[in-house]
Amino acid sequence: MSLFADLLGVFLNGLQAGAIYILVAMGLSIILGTLKFVNFAHGALYLIGAYAGLLIANEVRLSNGLLQQYGYETVGLDLGFLAALILVPVFVFVIGLLMERYLARAFYDRPDIDQILVTFGLAIIAQEAFRVLFGGQSINFARPGWARGPVMLPAIGNFPRWRLAVIAITAVLVLLVYLLVEYTDFGLIVRAGTRDPEMVELLGIKLTRPYIVMFAIGAALAGVAGVVGAPLENVNPSIGMETLVPAFLVVVIGGVGSIRGAVVGGVLVGMVYAILVGAPLASIPVIGGAISWSAWSQVGIYALAALILLLRPEGLFGSEEVS
Amino acid sequence: MARDTNSLNRRDVLKASGAAGVAGLAGLAGCTQDGNGGGNGGGNGGGDGEDYPSLGNFPIEGDTATFGFNVPTSGPYSSEGEDELRAYKLAVKHLNNGGGWVDDFGDLSGDGVLGYEIDFVEGDTATDADTARESASRMVQRDNVIMFSGGSSSATAIAQQGLAQSQKVLFMCCLTHSNDTTGKDCVRYSFREMFNAYMTGQALAPVVTGEYGDDLSFYQLYADYSWGQTQQESMKQFFEEAGWSQVDSVATPLGESDYQSYLSEAANSGAEALFLNHYGLDGANSLQQAIEAGLDQNMEIVMPLYNRPMAQAAGGAIEGIFGTIAWDSQIDNEPSNSFTQFFGDEYNGRVPSGPAQLAYAQTLQYAAAAERAGTFYPPEVIRQLEDYEYDNIGMGQETMRKCDHQAQRDIPVVRGLPESEQGQGQFFELVNVTSRDDVGYACDEGPAAECELGEYGDE
Repeated sequence: MSLFADLLGVFLNGLQAGAIYILVAMGLSIILGTLKFVNFAHGALYLIGAYAGLLIANEVRLSNGLLQQYGYETVGLDLGFLAALILVPVFVFVIGLLMERYLARAFYDRPDIDQILVTFGLAIIAQEAFRVLFGGQSINFARPGWARGPVMLPAIGNFPRWRLAVIAITAVLVLLVYLLVEYTDFGLIVRAGTRDPEMVELLGIKLTRPYIVMFAIGAALAGVAGVVGAPLENVNPSIGMETLVPAFLVVVIGGVGSIRGAVVGGVLVGMVYAILVGAPLASIPVIGGAISWSAWSQVGIYALAALILLLRPEGLFGSEEVS
Repeated sequence: MARDTNSLNRRDVLKASGAAGVAGLAGLAGCTQDGNGGGNGGGNGGGDGEDYPSLGNFPIEGDTATFGFNVPTSGPYSSEGEDELRAYKLAVKHLNNGGGWVDDFGDLSGDGVLGYEIDFVEGDTATDADTARESASRMVQRDNVIMFSGGSSSATAIAQQGLAQSQKVLFMCCLTHSNDTTGKDCVRYSFREMFNAYMTGQALAPVVTGEYGDDLSFYQLYADYSWGQTQQESMKQFFEEAGWSQVDSVATPLGESDYQSYLSEAANSGAEALFLNHYGLDGANSLQQAIEAGLDQNMEIVMPLYNRPMAQAAGGAIEGIFGTIAWDSQIDNEPSNSFTQFFGDEYNGRVPSGPAQLAYAQTLQYAAAAERAGTFYPPEVIRQLEDYEYDNIGMGQETMRKCDHQAQRDIPVVRGLPESEQGQGQFFELVNVTSRDDVGYACDEGPAAECELGEYGDE
């Protein structure tokens, strides 16, 4: 296989690995940038999105958990994937509204550490609640019928159809959010509020409503990420926490509050991962044996974040005022 | 929570009277022998110090012997852990009240063990060695368990058996398949019913090379910890001996959820076969993603170690994929059939998995050995287990070998069924049950070569 095809393959793998991080990080970054709220429960919103998507799209047979003990052997609406893709963001949007109004708002003026503690606590409660209800076991989220199996790509060869769909869905959602923030009055108010909230309020614009909507949009994005990402793996109560850490790294790399930053950060993280896994570096012999670099792919992501923070503490697209 | 409180019995009376002292217990037990054998252990069974000195958590104080069940209820092997826990609870129930295999084990009475009611504590290893060791340590130090058991992830089992040896409390391995469990860290205070990666290689190579040809090139992905490392070493050894050649072998982190990049590399390697040395949720994910990526169109895929929960999670992806399993409900003999029956009766028709069979069997094997020894004194129980011959757990004639505490037993080789043929609890076609005569190794070769077991504790 040619070097070009190899590079193309690594690029596509990096893009698909980064796509989910982009979706999660975009919401996280928006909330952190506009509201200065450190939301460690963002992974829990991903988790809610994944389970909600699973239960809307499929009919699931439970072998564990409280629901099964109470006689609910099968749960789920079996409405198909598209229904999940539409309903879940609406559902998680409402959760976002409630979360902003009854939780986040009370913590805006309190130190970051308070915000972290309360949202982290919430995330653990959500995770354990799912474990109690559905059991700890992993549930298979069947991919939609139209996106099953591989597709033959020129030069690259077989590539999972669903992963291409994930890249496409992410691209569309990123574009929609970008247009909303950059080219609408709503986006203008939010951006202005981020820079100078007092001036915006002096102009007679109440920021409470745009903020609550922005929070809910961020939450809905995490929910969508759950629906789109869950068919890539099996759904279990831990996936929210597992998604949160790389998403924060993406925000750090890209810069807080920047949609472009979330996209570039997500792609970079995905690429570093794909390159370390797939590079010819794998199993380079060193003194006393061979190091398998693929197992270091996680370390590479942290090294990238550390390097960028050293060179540019506010992240690639972050501005010092915002961060 | 596991204590059976159905009826007022001798032990309840003892508790109520506050006779917790061992000497008092011994005296009362002697007075209240009722001919059912329950009274034999109060004094000697628990060990009042007359026959044996204190060692580890021996002698037991009170009239309840506590077992510790340390399994992953979170992490990538949690499905296996939860099924193990079901089996452990069932074993305790049967030990206290009769039923299940207890009625067929000549050494067990169904009235506790050595006259002691069995209680248990449980812990979550989170599929992590350090967490497992901490949890086991709590069981030994705080809960005074006389035996603990667990597994799923050899790293956790190896960590626990090291603790067992140092604390002089017996550990009955459950699901652990690394060669290192009995081949490197050989521990006197630990026994393993499960076969190992070396034996999987011996059982799998003839079947797979017979099916796909004897000169294929292969690529391996493996979970980067004790089990995966020895697993891929054994695959390399036995498939290369059979004529295959390895292109590359690449490590993946435990708990990885996205294997796409790894699989792309495997697909581009030019190899004709791919071994996925992953287990539990990791195995379900990697196999599913390999099929999604169309790797099966150009390569033969092999999943060396399977079990039922992971097959269930992988769904239709297992179709036609060869592997080995600890035990399966399709194995047709009296102990296997009865286990499937009473496990299903207890758990709403659920078909037990291989890990569940291991958990149940290892608990009863310990209890039976204690009964044979007539005491919980660990060195005596160990001597009863060593070189013990048995055929009562559904895997044919077995020996728990003295030199490395590794059971010598048959190995089921299976092939995944298509999704349309998968029924409840039925995921595999049983291709072969490889006789123990065709697998295994002498005490001075293979993984046993390095073995020097630790002390009994009464030297």
